[in-house]
Amino acid sequence: MLRKRCAGPLLLVLLTVTGCQLTQSAFSRTVGNAGAVFSAASTTLSYAHEGKITSAYAQASFVNYQSELDGLDQQLPSQQGAPDKRTVQHLLDLYRPAIQAVIQPCLEESCHWQAQVAALNRASQAFLMAGG
Amino acid sequence: MKKWLSITLGIVTATGGFLDAGTIATSGESGARFGLGLIWACLIATVAIILLVEMMGRFSAISKKTYAEAIRENFGFKFYLLPLLSEVIAESILLAAEIGGIAIALSLMTGISWRILFPPAAFLVFAMAWRAPFDWIENAPALLGLVTLSFIVGIIALGGPSHQLLSTLWKPEVKQGELADYLYLVAATLGATISPYLLYFYSSGAREEHWTSNSLLLNRVTAIVGMSFGSLGSIALIFLGAMVLQPLNMQGSSLGELGLSMAKALGPFGALLFAVALFATCLGAALEVVLGVSYNIAQGFGWEWGEDKKPVEAARFNLVLIIFLLVAVAIGLMGIDPLQLALAGSTVIALFLPISLFPFLVLMNDPQYLRDKTNGRFSNIAIICILLIAFVVAFVSIPLEILSGGG
Repeated sequence: MLRKRCAGPLLLVLLTVTGCQLTQSAFSRTVGNAGAVFSAASTTLSYAHEGKITSAYAQASFVNYQSELDGLDQQLPSQQGAPDKRTVQHLLDLYRPAIQAVIQPCLEESCHWQAQVAALNRASQAFLMAGG
Repeated sequence: MKKWLSITLGIVTATGGFLDAGTIATSGESGARFGLGLIWACLIATVAIILLVEMMGRFSAISKKTYAEAIRENFGFKFYLLPLLSEVIAESILLAAEIGGIAIALSLMTGISWRILFPPAAFLVFAMAWRAPFDWIENAPALLGLVTLSFIVGIIALGGPSHQLLSTLWKPEVKQGELADYLYLVAATLGATISPYLLYFYSSGAREEHWTSNSLLLNRVTAIVGMSFGSLGSIALIFLGAMVLQPLNMQGSSLGELGLSMAKALGPFGALLFAVALFATCLGAALEVVLGVSYNIAQGFGWEWGEDKKPVEAARFNLVLIIFLLVAVAIGLMGIDPLQLALAGSTVIALFLPISLFPFLVLMNDPQYLRDKTNGRFSNIAIICILLIAFVVAFVSIPLEILSGGG
């Protein structure tokens, strides 16, 4: 009984003592989400060329990825918890070719889709790492 | 024979009609972000909805009244406005999300932007809600929704979960700074599954189909077997997200992304099955939401209502239906991602859940309505537990949505 009564306050004390954060900074959250979307875009593009999904499916998915990533380059530098300018600039340098791939994904065999997948993977890894 | 046919149909309907945009969104994201660590929330929600649906069916079959009618009759008009208002706010967001879900499903099949397909999707919901008989509305999307069982085939095709993944069932991996996201998804899972619209719709459906005390077996089997099978689809989506999306560092933040797990398992046919499942479940849910709210308003205000009546015979009921659809279309046309709308809708539902469920505890113990079929001690303890959960979820849902950035 005593154990049950103390569960709530104990949890609070534990969170405080262990320093367990309830949530991330706005910057970490934004770059983490963006990294996940770049990863989804890379997988979608690869699946489209491996014949696992139709190009219609891929095209529809990319519309959503684009709206999730829109305006990220404007938001990043001013977000709460943003690191030094150099790190942000590095992320932005990776963002540009990756967002180009999201806006104009190469769904035909004739174009160089592997380069787009590589750009998306690079951006995904860097953003996920920056997001912790 | 006819009785068993009804029971089979009831189970099929509940199985196919369990999932909607909210449950798909929360299940997929849960799996992608926290492995199997949120299945417990899904199981609690399933037990809660089974109990509530069984009680709701029993109430309407015995009392020959719908839930909305009984609230107004027993608690008065002013009190009735409280659950009504909460319903209208939460369900208009959810209806926009469901229509968006239909549009995205069509978009995944055709490649056309979902924003272009949103108005035709809304028109499809309108046409079915306006003209289709109740049997069609109840059974057609639900039968098509059985495609969700293909998610289980997907898990088998992928070779099943690893031992490491299975350990997240009882030991969820919540990384530093992700506790708010985890708790937010718990609240959204409960809100997405324990949906009051389902209860209003089920209660009205029991009256549309003229249930009597002879229908109690059908009601019980539908609630227990149908809802349990239905929740399998939801749990399967968590497994798929955990098995495919999580290792690729994806978060399942868009509906198309969730279908990639079926594509990995079954190729383009798997992706198509996901799109069909999304279409059917969102269409079924959109119809249930729009009718659930229209039923609620018409019954509460004492107007003529009924899906099998001609529009002119239940004019105000049909007018509410159109206005409610137009409000949802206006929300949807703002361009907000349907998946985010579904998550927000589920949180708002969680916030208002105690208001919608509290009258139930009183009504289920009133012998004037239920004669000798009132709740026993176990059922009352169960409702009180569900109400307690609802209160906790309502208390934390909005702060968690703010802290987690909406999932």
